[in-house]
Amino acid sequence: MGERVLVAMSGGVDSSVAAGLLVKQGFDVVGATMKLFCHDEDLPDRPCCSLDSVNDARRVCQQLGIPHYVLNLESAFGRDVVRDFVDEYARGRTPIPCVRCNTFTKFRDLVRKADAIDARWIATGHYARVVDGVLRRGLDPAKDQSYFLWGIRGTILSRMLLPVGEQTKAETRAMAHELGLELIAEKTESQDICFVPDGDHTKVIARQLGGDAPALSRGAFVRRDGSVVGQHEGFARFTIGQRRGLPGGFAEPMYVVEIRPTTREVVIGPHEELAGRGVVAREVNWLVPPLQAGDELEVQIRHRARPVRGTLVRSEADEIEIALADGASAITPGQSLVFYRGDVVLGGGVIEAARRELPILAA
Amino acid sequence: MPDPVYLDHAATTPVRAEVFDAMQPFFGPRFGNPSSVHRWGREARTALDEAHERVARCLGASADEVVFTSCGTEADNLAVLGIWRARRAEGRRAVVTTPIEHKAVLAAVHEVTREGGDERLLAMTRDGLVDDSSFDKLVTEDVAICSVMWINNEIGAMQRVPDLAERAKARGVVFHTDAVQAFGKVHIDARSQKFDLLSLSGHKIGAPKGIGALYVRRGTPLEPLMFGGTQDRGRRPGTENVAMAVGLARAAELAVAEREHEWKKLEALRDRLERGLLEKLPDAVIHGRGAPRAPHITNISVPGTDSESLLMALDLRGIGCSAGSACQSGSVTPSHVLSAIGVPAELAGSAIRLSLGCLSTEACVDRVLDVFPMLVEKARRLQTA
Repeated sequence: MGERVLVAMSGGVDSSVAAGLLVKQGFDVVGATMKLFCHDEDLPDRPCCSLDSVNDARRVCQQLGIPHYVLNLESAFGRDVVRDFVDEYARGRTPIPCVRCNTFTKFRDLVRKADAIDARWIATGHYARVVDGVLRRGLDPAKDQSYFLWGIRGTILSRMLLPVGEQTKAETRAMAHELGLELIAEKTESQDICFVPDGDHTKVIARQLGGDAPALSRGAFVRRDGSVVGQHEGFARFTIGQRRGLPGGFAEPMYVVEIRPTTREVVIGPHEELAGRGVVAREVNWLVPPLQAGDELEVQIRHRARPVRGTLVRSEADEIEIALADGASAITPGQSLVFYRGDVVLGGGVIEAARRELPILAA
Repeated sequence: MPDPVYLDHAATTPVRAEVFDAMQPFFGPRFGNPSSVHRWGREARTALDEAHERVARCLGASADEVVFTSCGTEADNLAVLGIWRARRAEGRRAVVTTPIEHKAVLAAVHEVTREGGDERLLAMTRDGLVDDSSFDKLVTEDVAICSVMWINNEIGAMQRVPDLAERAKARGVVFHTDAVQAFGKVHIDARSQKFDLLSLSGHKIGAPKGIGALYVRRGTPLEPLMFGGTQDRGRRPGTENVAMAVGLARAAELAVAEREHEWKKLEALRDRLERGLLEKLPDAVIHGRGAPRAPHITNISVPGTDSESLLMALDLRGIGCSAGSACQSGSVTPSHVLSAIGVPAELAGSAIRLSLGCLSTEACVDRVLDVFPMLVEKARRLQTA
C-alpha cells in the first residue's frame, strides 16, 4: 500500500475524480466529507447539513473501495468562515468565504485530521497545481482556482496533492465516466456559496445579526458630491461595480462605487468612478520569499479577472500597497488581491481599499 | 494488519448461528402468512405463537403481553405515544423521562409535546443515575407515562428500574423501560418487577436487525401507531415477520440462559480494559464509573484528544468503536448523554465508547491497550506541536 492521503470530498465531480486518480496511482486513500453547517429549517427538503453531498461522497468512496468519514467541523467553520463573512458584509465589504475555508478549514483543520491518521498527504479537487513546492494556476484557464488558495500556509504545499489541476473540466468529467462514477460524472456545478441558501447571502446575515441590522436597514443612495438620489434596503445587498437595484433616470449607466457602512450610504456613479490606480491589502500571506518595495508583480483583484501589472510600493508588517500601471476597475474591499508571476502564485491579501491616484514608491 | 477488533457491540451484534438456523425454514418452505386459514398459514401461525410464548417466558410474561415490532425504536415509540394518546383523556397530560434516553424515547416525548402534552426531564447524578428527589417531584398524579432506560447505551449506567417502577405505579403512572441494552444483562421478570412496558431489540442480542418487541402488561391502555389489520390484537397491524420473530425468540432464550456467565465474562474483560487504559493514561476519565453499570460498556475521555480523529485512527488500525451519537450525515455530534450528566463539552468531545460482547476476547482488549494509548500520545503531540 502506498502513502496515505486524506481527500476532502464534497460529493462533486472534481474531488471524486481526485480520489479516483489517487486510488489508481496506488495511494492509500481515505475520503472525508466535512460537515460545515446545518441549514436547520431554512431548507426543509435538505434535512441535515448538505446530506445529499455527504451521500454522494459516500457512494463514490464505496465504489472506489476506500473508507469514508464525515468530519464535523461545524463550530470552527462557523467561527472562521461564516462569522467573518457576516462581519465583512456588516463592514460594507464583499467577502470570499471560499478563501477562508481553504485557509482555515481545508488546509488547517482538515490537515490536523490528516495528521491524526498518519496521512502524509492531503488532497482536494481544486483546479490548481503544486509543482516542486510552488503553487501554480490550474492548466484549464477556464477553471483555474488558484485565486482562492493564496491564504494557505506555505508549509502545507509540500503535502498537497491537487490531481485535477493538471486537466480540464471536460477531461475530469470524462475520467469520472472512465472510473465508473456515473452518479456524479455529470453533476452540475454549484456556483453558490455552500452555506448560503438559495444564493441569498442576506438570509445568513439576517440570521446572525437580525433582520434589523444596519447592514440590512434602509439607507441613502448618494453621489460623490453628497446629493441623495434614492433609498436602498440595506448596503449589504450591494457590491462595488454592481448595477442591479440602483435608482434609474441617469444619462449614463450607474454603478456602485463605494459603500459607507457608518452612514449606511451607497455611493453610485458612472463607470469612470470605478477606476483605481492602486490597491491596499491586509492579512498578507506569502507562498514565496516576500517581495520588497520596488518589486514588480502581477495582481488579480477578483476571481476570473485578468491579472494586471503592478509594483509593490509599500510593504509593512500586515499591510501592503501596490501601484497598478494600467489601473483596474471596481477594486472591491473584502475581495482577494492575489499576486502572480506567470502562473506561479506568490501570495495574496485581502483588499482593504482602492487608491484613485497612482501610489508613489516611498523613497 | 492484525485481525480487526470489533468493540461496538452496543451498536449491533452479529446474528448467532443458532438464530440463523432457527430462522431459515421461514425463508423457505414455511413461508406462510400466519393469518391464512390453510396449512401454510397454520404452520406460520404455530411458529409465531410459539415465538410469542418463548419471548414471554424470557420476560416472566404471558404470550399476549408481547408485541413484535420492527425494531427497538418502534417499541419505544409505541410505548410513549401509545400510552400518552390512550391516557390524555384521563387528564394525565405529562410524560416523564430522563435526558439520557435513546433518541427513540426522547424524540417520541418531543412528539408528545407537539400533541399538547407536557415533557418533564428527570435530574441525573453525575454518574448517570436518576436523582431520587427529582423523581418524586416530577412523577405525580398528572403523569401518563414515565420512561426510564434500564441500561444506558452510551455509558452503561444501570437504573434501579424495579424500584422506580414501583414508585411510579403507586401514583397511577404507567412505567416504561427501554431495555434494549439491558436484556441479557440484567435479571428481568415481569411477575416480580412492576414495569408496565419494556422495549427490546433483536440485533443487540444476536438476532437480525429489523425485529424488536414491546412487553405490554395486561390491562395497560395502548393506542396503536399504525392502522390496518387485526394482527397482534390491533396493537401492531401488518403481516407478522415470522422468521425474525422466531429469530428473536431463539436469541432471547440464549441470552437469558447465558446471562450470568456472560456478565462475568464481560465484566472481567471490561475491568482488564479499564485497568490497562488507566494505567497507561492516568488522566483519562471513565464516565459513569462511580455507579452501578452494565459490564459491556466503557466510555472513556482522554483530555487533549478528539473523538472524531481517534475514531478514524482506530478504524484505520482495524479497531471499531464509536463516539457520541451519529447524526444523519454520519458525523460525530457531542453526546447528549454526557452533557446531561455534567461532563464539560471539551471532555465530552474526546469521548470514545468501547462496547464488549460475543466477539470480545482478552486478545482484543490487549490490542486496544497497545493501540489506544499510542494514538492518544500521538494526538497530544500533534496538539502541542
